[in-house]
Formats: sequence, C-alpha cells, structure tokens
Amino acid sequence: MEHRPFSEVIVERGSESSPIFFNLRRTLGHLPFTMVDCIESSGGLGAVRSAAFGAAKKTLYLARHKGDFLKKCPGSEGQVCCNYFVINFASNCPMDCSYCYLQEYLADNSALQVFSNVTDLIDETERTLARHRGVFFRIGTGEITDSLALEPYTGMVAELIPYFAEQPNVLLELKTKSDRVESLLDLDPKGRVVVAWSMNPQRVIDLDEHGTASLDARLAAARRCQQAGYRLGFHFDPMIEYPSWESDYRSMLEQIFATIDWRKLSWLSLGVLRQTPGLKRAMRERFPRSELLTGEQVLCPDGKMRYFQPLRVEMYRKMVHWIRRAAPTVKIYLCMESRDVWEQVFGFAPTCEKELGNQMAPGVP
Amino acid sequence: MSETVIRDYARAKGFHRQTLERWLGWAPADRDALEEIAIGLKTSENHLREMMDWLEEISLRDRSKIYDILGKHEIFSIQTNPRLGRADKLKRIKEQLRRWRLPRLAGVEDAIRHNIQALKLPAEIRLSVPPGLEGGRLRAEISAGSLAEFQQLARRLSDAAATNWLAEIFQRLSGEPAEKEPGRNGS
Repeated sequence: MEHRPFSEVIVERGSESSPIFFNLRRTLGHLPFTMVDCIESSGGLGAVRSAAFGAAKKTLYLARHKGDFLKKCPGSEGQVCCNYFVINFASNCPMDCSYCYLQEYLADNSALQVFSNVTDLIDETERTLARHRGVFFRIGTGEITDSLALEPYTGMVAELIPYFAEQPNVLLELKTKSDRVESLLDLDPKGRVVVAWSMNPQRVIDLDEHGTASLDARLAAARRCQQAGYRLGFHFDPMIEYPSWESDYRSMLEQIFATIDWRKLSWLSLGVLRQTPGLKRAMRERFPRSELLTGEQVLCPDGKMRYFQPLRVEMYRKMVHWIRRAAPTVKIYLCMESRDVWEQVFGFAPTCEKELGNQMAPGVP
Repeated sequence: MSETVIRDYARAKGFHRQTLERWLGWAPADRDALEEIAIGLKTSENHLREMMDWLEEISLRDRSKIYDILGKHEIFSIQTNPRLGRADKLKRIKEQLRRWRLPRLAGVEDAIRHNIQALKLPAEIRLSVPPGLEGGRLRAEISAGSLAEFQQLARRLSDAAATNWLAEIFQRLSGEPAEKEPGRNGS
C-alpha cells in the first residue's frame, strides 16, 4: 500500500492527554507538531478549506470533536436502507479514490482531522447502547474516513475494540481499503467486530483507487483478521462497468473465495458507481481522464447518477449468481438501491429498514 | 478570432464564468466546432453545458476529437436540413449526441419503442417507460369517453398483455436479454 506521508501535524490544545496524541508523537515524531489554541480560529482549517482537496490530505489535524459521534447513516432518499449507524472518529481520508463522495461532501471542510476525545466517543456510545439493550446495533466507522488507513499512526481502532468487544448488542464494522490491520491482531474482538473491505478488481484499484492497498494485500489482511477471530465483510461497492468487467469481477470473486472461509463472512454488499452531478463536476476537475466519467449513467430520483437500471440490474444479478455458486448462503444486500431494483435482482424487497437491519445483525455466537 | 466571438456570445447570454472558461479551455479546433453549432443555434447555457459534458465524455471514451464527433454526417445533415427550424435542429443534435453518449440505453429504448409499436394499439391506449428507464415500470394510459369504449380498450390491452411483445418489454426493463427471433409474430 502506498504511504502518503504527512508534512505536518497540527494539534489543538487540550488534546495532549489523549492516547491518540501519544500514538501520533510515537509514530510521526519526525514531523513538525504545531500546537494551536483552536484549529477553527487559528487559521489552520480556514487555510485548508480554500486549498485543493488533494493538498488538504498532507496535513493531519488532531482536535476534540465537539458534536455527536454516533449518528444514523443518512442512506439515500427513497432507497432501501439497512438501518446502520456511524461513528465518525476522523474526517476525510488519506487515500484519494477518484469517485470518492467526500470530494463533494467535504469540499468546504476538507481538512484531514482525527478526533482526540476517545473517552467522549465511548461514553456517548455507551449511553445509547445501554438505553436500548433490546436493539441490536450495527455501527460503522468508515463513513467519512477509511476505518484503518490512519491506524498505524493513531491507534484509534485499537482503543475502541476492547470496549465494543464487551457490548452485548452491537457489531462494530471497520470498513477499509487498506491492509493496516497489525494493531487489531492481538486483540480479542469476541465476535463483535466485523472488518470489511471495499473490493474491486486490480484494474479499478490501479486506475481509480489511488493510495489504497492492492487486491492481494487487502485479501492477505482479511485472511489475517479471519485467523485472529474477526468476522469479515466485503463491499463490492462501487462496482464499475467496463468492457472486461465480467471476467475481472469473476476472477476477483474466485480469488476471494479461495482465500477466505465464506462461512465466516458476516455480509456482502453490492452497489454500483453513483455520484451526484456536483460530485461528477469535482471528478471532472480532479480526474479529467478517469474512465468512470464515461459510464452509461442516468439521473435517478434521489439525485444520484447510476448506470441505467437494466444495465445495473444485470450487473447485480451476475454478481449474485457468481457469489452464490461459491457461497450459497452468504448474506448479500444492495446498498442505496430502490425497492424496484431489489425486486428485479432478488425477487423480493425488505418490507422495512428494520427487517434488513435485523437480517444483517443476528445474534452473536 | 473565435475566442472573441465566444466571449461576446457568452456575455450576451449571461453565461457563468466557469462555462466560458471550460469552453475556451478546449483545443482550438474543438472550440470552433462547438461555436459553429452553439452560436448558430443560439444555444442556452444549460443546453450548452449538457452538450459539452456529452462531447467530453464521448471523446474520452472513444479517444476521439470533439471536432471529429461534431463533424460526423449525422450532425451535418441535421445542421443543413432546410426543413428544420433552429429549435428542432438543436433538439435533434442533442438527441444524436445522447445516442452516442448512451448507446446501450438508446438501444434498449429503441427496442422497447419497437415492441410498443408492434402491439399496434389504438391511439387511446398509450404505453410509455420512464426517462432513462429508471424505475423499471411500464406505464399504461387509457383514454375513453364511455364505458363501452373503456371495456373495448381494456380488452385490447388484455390481448396485448398475452403477447411476447409485451413480455419482451418487461424483460428489457429488468435487464434480462430479450429473445431474438427475427420475423416472430409476437403472439
């Protein structure tokens, strides 16, 4: 995996007692550390806001998060939702995928920030989990950052796993395109942690997933996690359509199922490339030669562009067929798709988001 | 020369700076080819932007030059057709560009249109599919002035529902390959 070295670390005062600060000092001690009273008012974030999105990834900020950590995944309007919650322990990502929605979502706040108040994060989560012990939560940390890309520097996930491992009503999903699993391997997840990889054929990784781990490296990391007792998930999202997509995705699936014990997979998800017109404009500016711009996409009712429905339904059907041949009973769901598409792919659609959420979050052994 | 013309046109039409800069950023031959069409047909900014998106994406996908795309005979024959007014020319040029930009979608839309025509339904029954085929649903509208007429049209629609033509439409909408049997009578 390509390492994207930071040029400096900017720390907001009050973060010095955080374990994340100690970890950063230990792993990035060769970089200049600048202490500021408040990153909002110091000019630091403001400067980044006006900088190019890619350039913002060079500076790492450490600051307290002042809002809520735990949120309901917003999903997409009118689409079947999987009742998922997210914890944002960082904002933005050191990787640079050409299709990344953060290019639009964080366009005005693109600083790469890690939040230092881990104790607040755990306290807030504890209050929610304790108040709703009868509800099973799926919580992910890969919504506005990659869950593991910064782990060798921050040790954030290693701080969280011991807490989540003890909770009776939660699965923590760590979603990543990295191979940075070292800090996880000596911890006991007690069945409460799913490490999930976003997967694409090597061709797509080479062309459009800049700074991420190779397919082989992701699979090797997944295998190590499985051996260490973690549940696994794979997200084939975004699936990209191009002339040899069928053979490439088929080969990738064969490789996955030759490496991983599918019976220990928690779930697989499928989703095609999608972007708002605004994101497409950002992609056109930052990656004008990307072939992703040339797919046969149409604007859908939720304001996102996707491959036209018969084309993407055909893609989903083929993927489901190839997966089912190797892993007959593995759970598969569609991410951000309409009931019509669910019906055409599976012959049914979940009646409500709780139904899908419950299917994805069964009792833990 | 063309830069001045483009700037004047953009100013007169009140284009956003980004649109103008994008246009001027094209290679001179591409810029001029679009100028000929856009200014000749008094194209608005929204139409122009859509055409620019499609042209850039076709060019990227096919590794072709924009002036070659705009120089194709399909575009030329629309531009020079004396029976077409300005608005119709623009509409047809945009339709042609969309066909090149979304060839498989256009192919499915054509095939569905062909299937609907093959049903030979009366004008009082209208079958249509959503724009871009999104939603995967066929819409049927009946317009009747009496109960007897409604019953007659409903029977026609029911007969149509029993044909392969209609089954094929649903196959196409759901991404299944439609059977290819040339000369089939559809019943």
